[in-house]
Amino acid sequence: MPPDQADRPPAVFYDGASNRRHPVRLVTGPDLAMEEDGVTIARWAYGDIRRADGDGRLRLRCLSGPPLARLEIADEALAASLLARLPASGRDAGRGHGRARQIVGWSLAACVSILALVLYGIPFAAGRLAPLVPLSVEQRLGDATDTRLRAMLGGRVCTRPDGAAALARMVEALGTAGGIARPVEVLVLSSPVANAVTLPGGRIYVFDGLLRKAETPDELAGLIAHEMGHVHNRDGLRTVIRAGGTSFLIGLLFGDVTGGAAIIFAANALLDAAQSRDAERVADDFAAATVTALGRPPAAFGDLLVRITGSDSRGTILDSHPVSVERLDRLAAAPGTAQTLSSGPALLDDAGWQALRQICADAATGSHPGPDGPKGPVRRSDKQNRP
Amino acid sequence: MDQPALAVTALAVTALAPTAPEPAAPEPARWVRFHGRRPTFRRLVMRGALLELLTAGFYRFWLATDIRRHLWSHTLIDGDPLEYVGRARELLIGFLVATAILVPVYLAYFLIGLEATRLQAFAGLPLVLVLYVFAGFAAYRSRRYRVTRTVWRGLRASMTGSGIGYALRMVAWDLLVVISLGLALPWRQAALERYKMRHTAYGTLAGAFDGTGGALFRRGWPLWLLAIPGVLLIIPIPFLVAAFRAILWQWWVSNIRFGAVRFHSYLDRDSLFGCYWKATGWAVLLAVMMGLWLGGVLGIAAALATAPVPGGTPDYAMAFQHPLVVAGIAIGYLLMVLGLGVVIRIYLTRDIWARIAETTAIHGLSAADGVTGQGSAADALGEGFAGGFDLNLGGI
Repeated sequence: MPPDQADRPPAVFYDGASNRRHPVRLVTGPDLAMEEDGVTIARWAYGDIRRADGDGRLRLRCLSGPPLARLEIADEALAASLLARLPASGRDAGRGHGRARQIVGWSLAACVSILALVLYGIPFAAGRLAPLVPLSVEQRLGDATDTRLRAMLGGRVCTRPDGAAALARMVEALGTAGGIARPVEVLVLSSPVANAVTLPGGRIYVFDGLLRKAETPDELAGLIAHEMGHVHNRDGLRTVIRAGGTSFLIGLLFGDVTGGAAIIFAANALLDAAQSRDAERVADDFAAATVTALGRPPAAFGDLLVRITGSDSRGTILDSHPVSVERLDRLAAAPGTAQTLSSGPALLDDAGWQALRQICADAATGSHPGPDGPKGPVRRSDKQNRP
Repeated sequence: MDQPALAVTALAVTALAPTAPEPAAPEPARWVRFHGRRPTFRRLVMRGALLELLTAGFYRFWLATDIRRHLWSHTLIDGDPLEYVGRARELLIGFLVATAILVPVYLAYFLIGLEATRLQAFAGLPLVLVLYVFAGFAAYRSRRYRVTRTVWRGLRASMTGSGIGYALRMVAWDLLVVISLGLALPWRQAALERYKMRHTAYGTLAGAFDGTGGALFRRGWPLWLLAIPGVLLIIPIPFLVAAFRAILWQWWVSNIRFGAVRFHSYLDRDSLFGCYWKATGWAVLLAVMMGLWLGGVLGIAAALATAPVPGGTPDYAMAFQHPLVVAGIAIGYLLMVLGLGVVIRIYLTRDIWARIAETTAIHGLSAADGVTGQGSAADALGEGFAGGFDLNLGGI
């Protein structure tokens, strides 16, 4: 049974060196003296006395002296008179509302700085870091992504020889005109989704669904040139660096809130969208410059975009691609367009174009992967994300 | 499985110093008591949840500290309260240091992962394994922090031992548990508790753990038999978990020793049913509310969806990605998570703590009279790792 609280001495002192209880008499003079059997065993200066946690009775500690020394006062009148002598800071046990306000303020400051880093610092760093990454490392990253992406997309690479030859001709011409200093591999995937994906390291997947939407070789050429622009600017690599940095920082913030992963994913999706809009514009400009150099109309690519997405000109913050009509106008207004419109030779003759469109025809497109694109570093292929 | 810091109530010891020792008469049992008021605790965790939301989670260090201070200071051992002298600032610093250590680890993992994914598409396993071993280390170091921040009658509890040594033992035992289909669990618990208590002390009173795997097995084997059918039927799960935890706590408290000071727990097998059922009920209610909220938000979005071409089907994907819809889903989700946190802290932390404390008796306390000696206070690095890794280490 617990000892009866009533027969406790009015004050008990623990010296912080042993757990022996010292029943003491308190002498309140210039400082607080504790007497045991008439001998003063401790003196505390009032200014150094602070409250310690306790259960229903006053417990005090002292800043000067042994850190674990404690004075317990069971007598309420004595406790009240002693509390009155303490400085204001000694009266609460450090759990006031002022503390919460302070924490909220500092946390908000930390959040703002982390957000600023996520929005501006990391993209800037990614842009600066990407050129420093050796091509071989980027290639490796692409290979790693490739395995994962192919596992998700299903489908197969279409390799009908005459179609593949036509595609190779087109890619060759575009690569030369665009001045890309690295090998670019373009493959057609037997997926019904109208999209294309570019991996870090320079591999481009054009889905069969997109190939079927294209009506002229110029439209497809514009699209491939656009994806080559991503390769040229190393956008895939930049995305990987940015997404990694963002995940890490936001993970810091929500370290312990369950579902931090979901928050990270959402934040990355938003950021990706916002920041890849610029990348898309740059890739569009690259595409326009490339096909113009070949003497073909850049606006054809814009027509393809509008056909895929409709002429709806509303965008949300989750749109990674600028709205199609806007892009069409921009492509049509590309410098030098008027003079070179269709002045160059056609990129593919009719037979070549038909062969390319039938590149997947030798097998039934059995697998219909859903509209979900890769969730890995390259996230540019859900329904919203148009080439 | 971490034994929450309740360990420290075991540091309880001593009777009023007897004026004249009477070795002939057996010493009466002393009791542990819990005087914390439920409304006080409820207010504390609800306000904490709100502040966690406002501070994007940074408040967690202060909330954890306040919860511990509340539980410790209202737990009386032979009439004297425990005191938790840890401070949130220490947890914050521990977390920041842990983060600084983790950055290169994550980076290295990323590069290794790059190599590994070329071999197979989904190679997430290595990180899970590394995290798992690390969790053992973090759990041990976290316990050390909590134990060394526990004061009773002006004396600190102390803890030594190696976090890495503990983690390796844990891994080895867990392997055995898996191989034996769970039958080795009692012996795993006994071995790990022996290691923890062997390195725990109160002043000069060395801690020890006398529990055996055999004793625990004899009390718990029916649960092992019921586990598979129970999990398949879903409904009995809270019963099974509650019974298992109660048996474990009772066995654990009853086998703790500090020098000649012994403990005995009168916790029954069904003592924790109520706690687990209340928590389950609230969790289900919160999940249903979240479902309704989600349905409402998406329903409104679908109703407002427009078709990209006139007469075509509405573009739902577009509508569901509207920022307002995303924000609505996020708010609902966060509220659910925070609500769940409050429920868990009230029913599974405070109530279980109170029940265990109230059913614990102490024998031979006079052995602890006049104990001296002070361990040193350990750093909060383990707690930092635990926080950074999103590990729930008992939540206390």
